[in-house]
Amino acid sequence: MSVMSSVLFLAQVQPVPSPAPAKIDPPALDAVWPILIVLAAACVGVLFEAFLPRHQRWPAQVALSLLALAGAGVALATYLSDAPEAGEMAMFNTLAVDRPALFLWGTLLALSVGAVLLIADRSVEPGGAFVATAAIRPGTVQDRAQVTATGMQTEVFPLTLFALGGMMIFCAANDLLTMFIALEVLSLPLYLMCGLARRRRLLSQEAAVKYFLLGAFASAFFLYGVALLYGYAGSVRLADISAAAAGTDRSDTLLFAGMGLLVVGLLFKASVGPFHTWTPDVYQGAPTPVTAFMAACTKVAAFGGILRVLQVAFESTQWEWRGVLWGVAIASMVIGAILGLTQTDVKRMIAYSSVAHAGFLLIGAIALTDRGLSGTLFYLLTYGFTTLAAFGVISLVRDSSGEATHLSQWAGLAKRSPLVAGVFTFLLLALAGIPLTSGFVGKFVVFEAAIDDGMAPLVVIALVASAVAAFFYLRVIVLMYFSEPAADGPTVTVPGAFTTAAITLGVLVTLLLGILPSFALDWAAGGAFAIR
Amino acid sequence: MLLAQQGAATVSTGEAVSFWVLGPLALAGALGMIFARNAVHSALFLVMTMLSLGCIYMVQQAPFLGFVQIIVYTGAIMMLFLFVLMLVGRDASDSVVEVLRGQRLWAGVLGVGLAVLITGAVARSLIDVTDQGLAADTANGGRGNVANIGQLIFSDYLFPFELTSALLITAAVGAMVLGYVNREQRGRRTQKELVEARFRGEHDRPSPLPGPGVFATANSVATPALLPDGSVAPESLSRLIESTTADKLAAERESVAGTGPAAGTRALAPGKEESR
Repeated sequence: MSVMSSVLFLAQVQPVPSPAPAKIDPPALDAVWPILIVLAAACVGVLFEAFLPRHQRWPAQVALSLLALAGAGVALATYLSDAPEAGEMAMFNTLAVDRPALFLWGTLLALSVGAVLLIADRSVEPGGAFVATAAIRPGTVQDRAQVTATGMQTEVFPLTLFALGGMMIFCAANDLLTMFIALEVLSLPLYLMCGLARRRRLLSQEAAVKYFLLGAFASAFFLYGVALLYGYAGSVRLADISAAAAGTDRSDTLLFAGMGLLVVGLLFKASVGPFHTWTPDVYQGAPTPVTAFMAACTKVAAFGGILRVLQVAFESTQWEWRGVLWGVAIASMVIGAILGLTQTDVKRMIAYSSVAHAGFLLIGAIALTDRGLSGTLFYLLTYGFTTLAAFGVISLVRDSSGEATHLSQWAGLAKRSPLVAGVFTFLLLALAGIPLTSGFVGKFVVFEAAIDDGMAPLVVIALVASAVAAFFYLRVIVLMYFSEPAADGPTVTVPGAFTTAAITLGVLVTLLLGILPSFALDWAAGGAFAIR
Repeated sequence: MLLAQQGAATVSTGEAVSFWVLGPLALAGALGMIFARNAVHSALFLVMTMLSLGCIYMVQQAPFLGFVQIIVYTGAIMMLFLFVLMLVGRDASDSVVEVLRGQRLWAGVLGVGLAVLITGAVARSLIDVTDQGLAADTANGGRGNVANIGQLIFSDYLFPFELTSALLITAAVGAMVLGYVNREQRGRRTQKELVEARFRGEHDRPSPLPGPGVFATANSVATPALLPDGSVAPESLSRLIESTTADKLAAERESVAGTGPAAGTRALAPGKEESR
């Protein structure tokens, strides 16, 4: 009897007279086509890996990736022509497709074109910058045999597209759960791609492991923050958190503990301030095209997320947390500028420069005004293209063992190749923020917005930091022009069409945004975040 | 049980019986996990605890939680645990040396602290908890939590849910990239491919090298193999090992054939001059 009743009891768990569930309408897709195209192309790319013979994969993957980026760009432009001014919610309110999100999507797509071109290049390094078979252990007989093998792991193309899809979703995520999954979708392919370098494989794999472990740690912080904020607001939606923080008598401990952990996770991805420790090692160890992709696109996506979280969810509590982020921004600028001075490796130097730039960007992000938003968006656009082209140039200076990244090897480069030295000088001046380059305009709009929002002391510190940072850019320029080239110095490879196109794209945008920034500034100032 | 008794007087006999069966089982599993000497037994005891807890959840009107407990914990995580145990080796035992100074003391203190916290939480739930009436028709919108979760997954959380598939694809591709080596890329050929290559002339000879000869007096690898005409097969000799046997044999053959160096005119005994 008792066992029977127990079974019956189990059977009765769902009440019998259940009302018919509400009919779920399929979501409207017109706003999210760019994301869907990128993710679908990534899946098709995986199928290419499975079914195409080895020699056909590279052309097929390159064509597919570029087509997908072009298709997503066209979809974005079509949507943009009649997008609602205030933005709209897509996919059952999980994505907020508003003006900042659309601007970031456009930036990410354009930067990815350059990154995919760099990744696809096979002329600078014969066979491409990626290892032919990653599963062969470094240093073995088989590994030495595959050094001469042409061919690469063409899986990097779908992985790049997956990462791009994750970044686009990350910028537009309207709730923290979607944001977390997008964070993982963008990170996981990057961890993998870091470890696939053709030369100096141990360094590359070390970079991948470091990035993976620290990234997992940061994701845990993010997730814990999400859990605490859910405990506070009873919802993971940014607008609900904002509403809960605006007018309740709930305990602030959960809110600020959750926000702190969440922001640590975000700042890690953006390689800001004291959370930057992975940046130099990973930038140095990863294959240079991946470094370019990571430096440009991850920064854009991470700051897109930071901007949205700060402006949408935590604007009402800004007086409590703003001081902390002031400190973080100062730390980031000081660390980037001072440690950048001591570097002897070009890639590490650019990595520390990216930490300093992250500090400048954070200044724009904590100025919670429309001008702060548009200035930060514009800065992201300029910084992405400049960095992309800079890493493209770095990949050209080579000696017999691969890229010659040590600064002493760059001495007298202008005498060997005036063009490459000239282009690199221009890019370094843009990173330093000299007028007539996009970097100047970017810094100008961000600092202007910060002063408007009453952060003049922070701007003074930022100006000092940019002066210090300008010193180490100028040091490289002096080294290239006024030193005698070493006898056994590196040679400058004449790049093929792909790398040339990527570098040209970066340099042209840097120049164009330096001379005629107004059209891009107008785009960036198109509208604020949609809060719903 | 206590909770249920306190909450309402509606505890059915079935629930009571299932609790008194499953509760001791869960407790026994937990104790067994701690005290079992064999790591595999430990893991299996933990599986038993998880299964019992899953069933208790279902009895407590939480069918989704119950099934997730069984599928995720028992099915996925514990099986992974067992895999790892098997890979590490069932007999591998932990070192009992304290690596961190005072580790046991602090483990004990923190353990007691955790126990106090849990006891406090459970005690509080026993004192003031109200029955939510999950068995009632109106609970959870009248549809039960499984239907509600289903609705959420297919509406509000459709996009994040689908997005996790991108994560899984990336993970699978990554495992392939980092783990899979194509056979021809590894540089090893199968026996069949080797045979064909030999007969196509990629190697010096189609057959393996002849082994050493075996004489009644020696079985050393320095002993030469003899060809049908009695001569030494040079391929049977190692180029590294000096073969006295082969030299002696060659000298004997030469003297028999009379092709060796002729004895000098002053030699006392013909043929002895060259002996070593």
